[in-house]
Amino acid sequence: MTESSTTESSTTEAGFAAAGETAPADLPAPRGGPAEGPAVAIRGLGKRFGDVIAVKGIDLDVPRGSFFGLVGPNGAGKTTTLSMVTGLLRPTVGQAFVLGRDVWADPVAAKRLLGILPDGLRTFDRLTGLQLITYSGLLRGMPRELAAERATELVNALGLASAQGKLVVDYSAGMTKKVTLASALIHGPRVLVLDEPFEAVDPVSSATIRSILGDFVESGGTVILSSHVMDLVERLCSHVAVIADGQLLAHGALDDVRAGQSLEQRFVSLVGGTTQVEGLSWLRTSSD
Amino acid sequence: MVAHLVRLKLTLLRNMLRRSRAQAIGVVLAIVYFGFIVVALAFGVASLRADLDLAVAVIPVVGAVAVVLWSLVPLFSFGSDPTLDPGRFATFAVPPRQLAIGLIAGALVGLPVIATMLIALGVMVAWSHTVLSTVVGAVSTAVGVLTAVTMSRWVTAVATSALSSRRGKDVMGVLALILLVLFSPVLIALSNAGGDVLGVARSVSTVAGWTPLGWAWAAPGDIALGHVALGLLRLALALGFLWVLGRLWLSALTRLVENPRSSARPGAATVADGDLGLLDRGPDTVAAAVAMRVLIYWWRDPRYQAGMLLTPFVPLALLVPYFTADIGWVTLLMAPLLAFLMAWGEHNAVAYEADAFWMHVAAGTPGQADRRGRLVPSVLIATPLVSAYAVAGAWLAGRFDLLPAVLGLSAALLGAGYAVSSVLSIVMPYPVAKPGESPFATPPGATGITLVAQLVAAMSSVLLAAPPIVLALLAWSGAGWAVAATAVVGLAWGVLLFEVGVRVGGRIYERRSPELLMSLTAN
Repeated sequence: MTESSTTESSTTEAGFAAAGETAPADLPAPRGGPAEGPAVAIRGLGKRFGDVIAVKGIDLDVPRGSFFGLVGPNGAGKTTTLSMVTGLLRPTVGQAFVLGRDVWADPVAAKRLLGILPDGLRTFDRLTGLQLITYSGLLRGMPRELAAERATELVNALGLASAQGKLVVDYSAGMTKKVTLASALIHGPRVLVLDEPFEAVDPVSSATIRSILGDFVESGGTVILSSHVMDLVERLCSHVAVIADGQLLAHGALDDVRAGQSLEQRFVSLVGGTTQVEGLSWLRTSSD
Repeated sequence: MVAHLVRLKLTLLRNMLRRSRAQAIGVVLAIVYFGFIVVALAFGVASLRADLDLAVAVIPVVGAVAVVLWSLVPLFSFGSDPTLDPGRFATFAVPPRQLAIGLIAGALVGLPVIATMLIALGVMVAWSHTVLSTVVGAVSTAVGVLTAVTMSRWVTAVATSALSSRRGKDVMGVLALILLVLFSPVLIALSNAGGDVLGVARSVSTVAGWTPLGWAWAAPGDIALGHVALGLLRLALALGFLWVLGRLWLSALTRLVENPRSSARPGAATVADGDLGLLDRGPDTVAAAVAMRVLIYWWRDPRYQAGMLLTPFVPLALLVPYFTADIGWVTLLMAPLLAFLMAWGEHNAVAYEADAFWMHVAAGTPGQADRRGRLVPSVLIATPLVSAYAVAGAWLAGRFDLLPAVLGLSAALLGAGYAVSSVLSIVMPYPVAKPGESPFATPPGATGITLVAQLVAAMSSVLLAAPPIVLALLAWSGAGWAVAATAVVGLAWGVLLFEVGVRVGGRIYERRSPELLMSLTAN
């Protein structure tokens, strides 16, 4: 998984050789899971903040080995949903399962299988890049030697080798994303949950990340990512779900959801709203 | 521009009253209260008019101290009034000179300056002996106030760039240290002078009157005493100093406006490839990893350094009554006080990490490992330091017989404090300066919860340590058996409380870590 190959990810069907349910922490890389059952199952998940209902009861299955895109407009509840699935935010109602483990009843087992890249949360940015990745492994109880070894591999694979000794606080936004992604990968998760992984990432780094994620899915892992860049989701993902206003509008295999249109057209028609802009005539310089 | 900035400040002042009703009442009460003090002070200063000799002895030194205060306060409350932070105006096309003048004018519209001006009015009255002394008094007092305000703006501007670079932050730490170290001898000297306060004030005033800080405040006195040429010279010097400060402020501001963020980039620390630093040390456990990470943060994050640098100096304040009031036994309290402060200081430890804490939640870190790891660095530092203070305190007090009791009491206070901190830092986190902000910045609107949490932490650690405290009191009052008892019970009690605190804290952590993360992200 740390070797960056150039294989572009495409649809991978669920169904890989089983490799034992609970992977010990020192397993080299994700190698798929049992054939049946979704990678992530969401049941009636909802969240209320005071008077605002951010997520209004979502039911969703993310198939094993899928590259799953979660799309929705700003404020749709993507981040809230992903936080509840990954054990960062306690849901008001509903359940979430990762490979059959209830995230909120058995958080430790579920978190062992998960790798998370949250959006807009700080990291321990006074550590150097290498320290941060290693620390993430150590926090999960990995032996120090193994964590250090994998951290070095990850740093090389993600093109951070020359910056590994710099403090993360001095990194650019794209480098911070990459180092956080590496921190999410170090323990060999089976399901990756990435919130806006490509935001502020330059094209070269983005290609590197895509190929790493592609390999990960190829070898049986599951990736869930949220984005509002439709083109990217269309190119990368095998499955998509559209959410808006805290509700699931459509989900399934990419081709089923877009139903002959481009994903963007389909998205706009699902979410509603108009692309016609009124006013702002003073912005049109030709009117001078 | 000037008018805009003044109006902005007026609006902000008015908005102080627009928050909740309780806050508005609080603000009004505070204004009334401090208003009385300020007016009383102004009258006091004005009454110096009756005694020119006294006025000459007092006003220059007070004026100079006021200017020093005006330049020091922004260092410590830095970031508390970001409205006039020049960096914020970087995106507006305002000529630097106009901005410089405007920001000074804006700074003049503020409660501290109004208070200073009221007292300055008193100074003007005090100098109104002859026509010339009245005129010079008015001019030079105005110059003095402007000097203070310009100085404070300049210091803030310089501190803004200094604090955002890592090297500058180190300099600031050293500065704070020096100030503190200097502070106690000054106190001791002052209290030793005891009888002849006026004599001391007179000589200090003479010196201060010849420093840039005192020129403006000393000039009218010379005129009133008949030394017209000397007075005018000092006034000219004061005007020159103000002009120099103005230029300094303008250039600092120009630098800030032209590249508001540049100061953060250079000087980036780099370590060799593959070097894990402290993370490579210690036992290979999760708790040790957390502890090493916290230690790295103490080394690299100014917010931790502020506390770490200041806390060990607080017990030295006990030296003042020791030297001046001849209370010999008071130094025995240095070690217990330090123990209490160091353990208490951990009661909001998680809040300093802000939302980076998600990494611990996402990893499903075991609660005990998290709790223990966070406390270990403080224990590592507190143990030798508290022991040293205990020995030094017993030696100064000449009571080596009580040393075991002092050590026992300190151990109990450390254990109790850590136990309370281990639980409170999860249950009652309150907002603190965010990573990258000034160590002295206080988030708005958090004063209430801050005070409550600090009080709860302090009272519960003292309560938890009550049994050894009682034993220690017995030992001090002469019960010989209680010395050994305090030592043994204190140590055992401290270790027990620590372990219980870590376990209870760990259990609560495992239940509440998502809620804790949410409260850290919210503020």
